[in-house]
Amino acid sequence: MRLAAFALATLAFAGAASADDENKDLELIPRAPPQAAHVAPAPSPIFTGNERVYVENALAFTSLRDDLLVPFPPPLPPRWEDRLFADARLQWPLGSTAFVAYSGRLNVVAQEDLGFPNRGNVTHDLREIYASVEPHPRDYLDAGRINLKSGVALGFNPTDFFKARAVVDPLTADPSVLREDRLGTLMVRAQHVGERVSITAAYAPRVTDPAPLAADPYRGFSPLFGLTNADERWLVKASAQLGEGVNPEVLAYRENGRWKLGANLAQSVGKSTVAYLEWSGGRRLGIADEALAFGREIGAIPPSAPAAITQGGEERFMSQVAVGASYTTETKITFNLEYHYNEAGFSRADWERWFAAGEGRPDSSPIAQELWFVRGYASDRQEPLQRHSVFLRADWVDFLVPKLELTGFVLADAQDGSTFMQLEADYARTDFWSFGFLAGGTTGGRRSNFGSLPREASVLFTARRYF
Amino acid sequence: MFERLAKLALAAGLAVHAASAFAQSAQEIVAAADKVRNAQQPFRSTLTLTEYVRGEERSKSVFVLFSKEDPSGHFRNLLQYVEPPRDAGKRVLLDGQSFWFFDPASQASVRISAQQRLVGQAAIGDVLTVNLAVDYSATIAGIEAIDDAARQKRTCWHLEMKAATDTAVYSRVEYWVEQGTFRPVKGKFYSDSGRLLKIIYYRAFAERLGAVRPAEAVILDAVDSSLATIATFGESRFQDVPDAWFQRDYLPRLQIR
Repeated sequence: MRLAAFALATLAFAGAASADDENKDLELIPRAPPQAAHVAPAPSPIFTGNERVYVENALAFTSLRDDLLVPFPPPLPPRWEDRLFADARLQWPLGSTAFVAYSGRLNVVAQEDLGFPNRGNVTHDLREIYASVEPHPRDYLDAGRINLKSGVALGFNPTDFFKARAVVDPLTADPSVLREDRLGTLMVRAQHVGERVSITAAYAPRVTDPAPLAADPYRGFSPLFGLTNADERWLVKASAQLGEGVNPEVLAYRENGRWKLGANLAQSVGKSTVAYLEWSGGRRLGIADEALAFGREIGAIPPSAPAAITQGGEERFMSQVAVGASYTTETKITFNLEYHYNEAGFSRADWERWFAAGEGRPDSSPIAQELWFVRGYASDRQEPLQRHSVFLRADWVDFLVPKLELTGFVLADAQDGSTFMQLEADYARTDFWSFGFLAGGTTGGRRSNFGSLPREASVLFTARRYF
Repeated sequence: MFERLAKLALAAGLAVHAASAFAQSAQEIVAAADKVRNAQQPFRSTLTLTEYVRGEERSKSVFVLFSKEDPSGHFRNLLQYVEPPRDAGKRVLLDGQSFWFFDPASQASVRISAQQRLVGQAAIGDVLTVNLAVDYSATIAGIEAIDDAARQKRTCWHLEMKAATDTAVYSRVEYWVEQGTFRPVKGKFYSDSGRLLKIIYYRAFAERLGAVRPAEAVILDAVDSSLATIATFGESRFQDVPDAWFQRDYLPRLQIR
């Protein structure tokens, strides 16, 4: 008993000594009065916490290659561009179970060879406008232009079926940003979110003929339904919570009378890693044959023109895969490493045929135009033209100083080693102002995927003010 | 000499407290302190995080937090950013081993790891609502009289806690709980490598969600001592939070009005 009392007294004495050390931490507390009395302002009856409005100016410079093996048909990409835009995401409640949502961007553009002022200087991108109603708890019905996204990978989403043709005039090629700046699709969507299962069904009607590949610079306020609603499309998808954190999603998609199936799964592996897998597959042509068929449909390629390149012209079941993992360090860096596979993409032999068909031809040649149409088609559909690629992205939050975020990625063609790279720094100077710098470029030989692109390098400066 | 005598007197006093203290197990003390911090019924709360750099206010984030205790005692949390404007509408689902981040700008839900959730401010909501008794095994390291955030002397159990589950955010925690009231006074949170990451002081005890609970937590960054965050719970109320809200597909559907 005496021993126990002595032990307790010793423990308490030691505690008294270490308590002095503990109290030193108090010096680190900011000299601000307790704020408990200052509760956050009551929610506004108009703003629901989902709105975001900002104005940004983006100034870009691009350097072009002048030694392309397959010359790029005019017009060449502009070497400079300044874009001032107001971007808004707004929501208006209609009672307690319904709302109307708008998301869009008003651009004022000046660029090389566009001239100023003219009707090409002002455009509006209508990303979303739709009404949503919840007739029963967690049963939803939405109608209008909606951005419906799927997928768990970062660099390429095989199950994101509505991504095709939806990106207009992107400021950056960072895939995570491309998902922000894309048009929704006119559709009706129904969704049920249960405790363990969620089911979504969407129908997008065909409302007009397909638009050309390049967005019309004189489109003004056109909603561009020719990009998003030129085919009738259906999507049904379901996700389920199968166990502790296991949450797969399966999808069935129909476009142009053809079905595609898809599935995706993301799973935590230990404390710092998330592994993910995304797959889709369906009957289709190789991408070159598909592009040329589309070109003939919209009149960009004369029906009688011979195919400058073909991948066999046979329709068969083909797959797309993205598999990868993210890893986050204690120092707030998150790495994503992914492998992308597009069975409809170019094999090494397809690339050789592409270069052989176009090498040495004038830029006005119909063959050169067809070959670049194929590449433009793949880009327009946000589909890798290469069959195998590797994607590495790093995102460093609070790099050197708080609120400075550094993001970089490399997309490499695994067959020829050529790369597309980008590095971006974004500094949130205050809660309302942020400034950014971006540099990107392509590397590789003249006879490589990325080394044969007209854009060699570009830089972008941005200043953004939130409201 | 006087200081030494004072410490001995304090030690004697603390020893008396200590004798009664050990009647309760360390785990019971942590569980009682958890009940002081968190309501057991599902609730909704506004959480304001004010960041300070070298003592100067740098930025402010406001969240709406929906929280619900599951049968195992873990809290399932769903948060939405309301401020700053650049982050408004972003949502984070923190549910056991399942963490998802939703950005309304991209309309995409991205799965994040336990480590990645700590990168964002929203993780603070998770840290503040965690039931430590569920995720950690505790032992009593001693009885100490330490100053609370208002520099009032508090006689506390000093608890040493080790992670006992995979869901534990930190591998080790030191925790000071006031004797008698079971109010948490201070916590020190360590990484797997033993590095001290955060120091948290609980303060501004007031009536909230049916009991007297800390309305504020001062979170000191132990890695960069120039950084500190004050987390303030604002408007709080009990609210039914259906289990379906913790599905990833519910994230785009959350309405906080």
